[in-house]
Amino acid sequence: MPNYVMVIDLHRCTGCGACIIGCKNENNTPEGVFWAHHVYETTGTFPDVKYTYMPTLCNHCDNAPCIDVCPVDPKALFKVEGGMTLHSVEKCIGCRVCENACPYGVIYFNEEEPHGFWRDTSVLIEGVTASPQEVVERVGGTVIPYYNPDRETTYEGIRPANKVEKCTFCDHRLVYGLQPYCNEVCPSGARFLGDLDDPNSDVSRLLDQYPYKRPQEELGTEPRVYYIREYNPKPK
Amino acid sequence: MSQKEELGKGIKRRTFLKISGAAVAVAALAGGCAPEEPEEPVEVDPDEEVERVEPVPLAEGSWLPSGCAGCTSWCAKEVYVVDGRAIKVRANARSMVHRGGSCPRSHMALQQVYDPDRVKVPMKRTNPNKGRNEDPGFVPITWDEAAETIAEKLMELREANETHKFLLMRGRYTQLNQILYGRMPAILGSPNNISHSSICAEAEKFGPMYTEGYWNYRDYDIEKTKYVLVWGCDPISSNRQVSHYLNAWGDLLDRAEVAVVDPRLSATASKANEWLPVKPGEDAALALALAHVILAEDLWSREFVGDFQDGTNRFVAGQTVEEDTFNEAHTLGVVKWWNMELKDRTPEWAEEVTSIRAEQIKRVATRLGENAPNVIVWLGGGPAMQVRGGYAAMAVHALNGLLGSVDNEGGSIRGASIPHASVPSSGDFIDEISAEGAGKQKIDQRGYKEFPAMASGNPGSGVVTNRVADGILDEDPYDIKVAFAYWNNFNFSCPEPDRWNQAMAKVPFFVHSVTHASEMTRFADIVLPSTHHGFEQWGYLGQKGNGYTHCWLARPIIDRVWDCKNPETEVVWLIAEKLADRGFSKLLDFCKAITDPETGAEPQNGMEFSEYAIKHRLQPIWDPNAYVSGDRFDGWEDFKASGVWNSDKYQYKTLWDDFGTVSGKFEFYSETLKKALETHAGNHNASVDEILETCKYLARGEYAFIPHYEEPYLWGEVEEYPLVLVDYKSRLNREGRSANCSWYYEIKDIDPGDDKWEDVAKINPADARELGIEDGDRVQLSSPVGQIECKIKLWEGVPPGTISKTFGQGHWAYGRLAAQDFAQAAARGANNNDILPADYERLSGSSAFYAVTRVKIEKV
Repeated sequence: MPNYVMVIDLHRCTGCGACIIGCKNENNTPEGVFWAHHVYETTGTFPDVKYTYMPTLCNHCDNAPCIDVCPVDPKALFKVEGGMTLHSVEKCIGCRVCENACPYGVIYFNEEEPHGFWRDTSVLIEGVTASPQEVVERVGGTVIPYYNPDRETTYEGIRPANKVEKCTFCDHRLVYGLQPYCNEVCPSGARFLGDLDDPNSDVSRLLDQYPYKRPQEELGTEPRVYYIREYNPKPK
Repeated sequence: MSQKEELGKGIKRRTFLKISGAAVAVAALAGGCAPEEPEEPVEVDPDEEVERVEPVPLAEGSWLPSGCAGCTSWCAKEVYVVDGRAIKVRANARSMVHRGGSCPRSHMALQQVYDPDRVKVPMKRTNPNKGRNEDPGFVPITWDEAAETIAEKLMELREANETHKFLLMRGRYTQLNQILYGRMPAILGSPNNISHSSICAEAEKFGPMYTEGYWNYRDYDIEKTKYVLVWGCDPISSNRQVSHYLNAWGDLLDRAEVAVVDPRLSATASKANEWLPVKPGEDAALALALAHVILAEDLWSREFVGDFQDGTNRFVAGQTVEEDTFNEAHTLGVVKWWNMELKDRTPEWAEEVTSIRAEQIKRVATRLGENAPNVIVWLGGGPAMQVRGGYAAMAVHALNGLLGSVDNEGGSIRGASIPHASVPSSGDFIDEISAEGAGKQKIDQRGYKEFPAMASGNPGSGVVTNRVADGILDEDPYDIKVAFAYWNNFNFSCPEPDRWNQAMAKVPFFVHSVTHASEMTRFADIVLPSTHHGFEQWGYLGQKGNGYTHCWLARPIIDRVWDCKNPETEVVWLIAEKLADRGFSKLLDFCKAITDPETGAEPQNGMEFSEYAIKHRLQPIWDPNAYVSGDRFDGWEDFKASGVWNSDKYQYKTLWDDFGTVSGKFEFYSETLKKALETHAGNHNASVDEILETCKYLARGEYAFIPHYEEPYLWGEVEEYPLVLVDYKSRLNREGRSANCSWYYEIKDIDPGDDKWEDVAKINPADARELGIEDGDRVQLSSPVGQIECKIKLWEGVPPGTISKTFGQGHWAYGRLAAQDFAQAAARGANNNDILPADYERLSGSSAFYAVTRVKIEKV
């Protein structure tokens, strides 16, 4: 079974956000929920100032604090072959302990019924524009008109209120040998997911070629997301 | 090929088994819900074959070719369609321009096409009063009623012999616009087909036009370049070919060096080796100092520019040079330029003016020279779209001339032409009334003494988009009685938009063809719901990048969400039919003259007209018997399936012997500009000096014909308005049209310095301390022409003395997210155009967006 890790090449990353939007598109995530996200920082003072950017997502830690703290039995967060940390909506009791335990802030809680926007029945101009719900009724889709049915093959297509949700490394795509959608939509070729046990995989090759960092490695969580190179090119 | 079919090709299918402690449990993923817990975990040997259950198949759909006109990158796309629904967008990787790259904003097309706030049926106004605060009282009508009313109004113009009082305004478009924009006004008898182009970046074209005779945007050969100096644009964010540059940037940084000139820390500046934060409006000073160093330090291209007869460099600061000591090769006037302008433009002089350290200027000039000719000086709109930006655009682009990088490997190159056929000319469909009307002065005042608008070297041939509002208000040259506009929103996108509110309130009958009820729509008498270009209609666009030009085809690939029509074709057909019913059949005759190239059939309805028109225009691409160049196709169906044509690869140095300028050379002394200015002056019995004065330029005499320094023309005195406004475009803008998409706001912080769900103006913390402003304060920003209210963000990426804000928000119409309160016409965020004066780079006709005004800040 592959030993999946993700490698993000910050030198190639252009900070464009396509991964974030792509993830929302693929996973039907509601407003304010970001399975793929970013951190950024501006340092220094003008004119010696630097803007640095880093895409983020669930690190699918081998020593996952979220699994450790999940109080239900069997746990709602669990590891699967390949190394991903997945989540069961069915078992989740919405206690949010995992959300607090995650040092990376990548677990999200749905306080309300998701996609309230698309459930709205109001119209702007009576008779000539539609309500969001009318669009969905006309176009099809589930709750949202551009709903992606692929997501529901391994996880709820849209996760309900009072449950957490998180990145799955697009396990529903991986089973078909497809890259996670964040990687596929990255226009800069900065993201790779592959088998660390395969010496010929992109990820193995990149981790051989470049020094890497993992987020807050000192915590001992053993993240499966590796970052290589720097976002900011050096002055020449 | 469907996704499922693609998946079936040599891909090993797997399921993921749940791991319980160290053991591996045999639990296949079940369909439709979370993984099922096995009743009893079974330990298995990892090496042992275990029975696996096939996973649930992904949705069966098709990737269908299309294209994106969300910005001027004009990328080829594919849309994933499942059961008639579009659910994903990606690049059409057959394009050689951007290959597999697809920018972040491309995905937002999904939120546009399924936006609930789209206009779903034709509607008419019931409130005769027009104004921002007047509810139009729109009520639905049929297409038939809409077309009847429009035809009636057009016939009234004909009957009164005033067909010129018809105005057609085009915003974004596809190349089928040749029908609605290119032919319909002329056939109806109006000169007024007005494009948006001069609120885009016409002044940028001024630089290459009056140096190398090229009125166009350039391609830049980044695959072969060694050094890139990006100037006043943000290629990985908002400038042209964004998907291509996003795709290529990492490799570029591995291979070459990148420096960025910009008065703010742009996305591209953060991905560059160095940043030159030039003082707004002082771009020409920096360019001239770089040119000075390139000449004084022996760094120019001998091959392209030539050399001194004896090989001794006489370009010494402060000293003039005898012209006959230099043998010029493919350029004209390098010594004249040095003597008149460059000899005194030292880096030390420029440091005072630009705030860029002399040492940095020297370093960048040296790196350019060392890497020449495989270098790019990448001219963007920033230095050009200023009141006095024409000569700055020339100065920046002229560096490519000095470095020999024009039309050269790794340098500034051009694109190929798309081999498309024209629709029949309007000439055969014009009667006396139309001919007389179409011959009148255009409403945008192009060609007036103060608006030379010299596109392609011809005075009065360029558009002055934003001047149309004044033309309407002042009835100069005449009043407008019937206006038709599509895919535009000048009441939002032009500086000083309130002029447009007044102007459109004054037009007695206005038809707007749009997807959304925008600011401009508020003034419409009839609103026609438009198809979305990427999903619901025929259309095509071509663009250059990566050494190629591509041309993509869009076609209806989903069921139209509402009762919409394509304004460029179907609406023309509908109006043509109604005009014919009233005895004026010329427009319908024209439409019927565009037949199916395969069968010769005449179109019988608007949909057939659309398809025949596009087949006609693209016949040289898809028809093997009409083949011209680039990719080959077996026929229409073959091209439709591919969705994109690519030109042959760019060939270098084909222009060096004749650039198409007046002298045939790359002109540092612009004979081409001299001819254009003298023609314009002659048209007005004036001198060139008088023209320059009228156009707010300071240069006199021979300086009019060389790239030279001009102090920036800024509105507002520094004592009252301490900060210079730096306007720029969000990387999420689909021009002004993504402001009703939730993804726009959800990740608005993707623009360096910006915040989610906010519209911030950014100032340097040092200025904030001096002005007593704190991070997060609500403030009013005022310029001499208007005020806006927004939130202040303190950010070190903004130089002291400036205030930086993205354009894109501030809609008071357009939809429930775009506006704070659509019914009350209350804006979300603030529109930069409200504080930008309606001023111009008049030689090109371009609106000035940059270094054009100072502003003051007051807490509210």
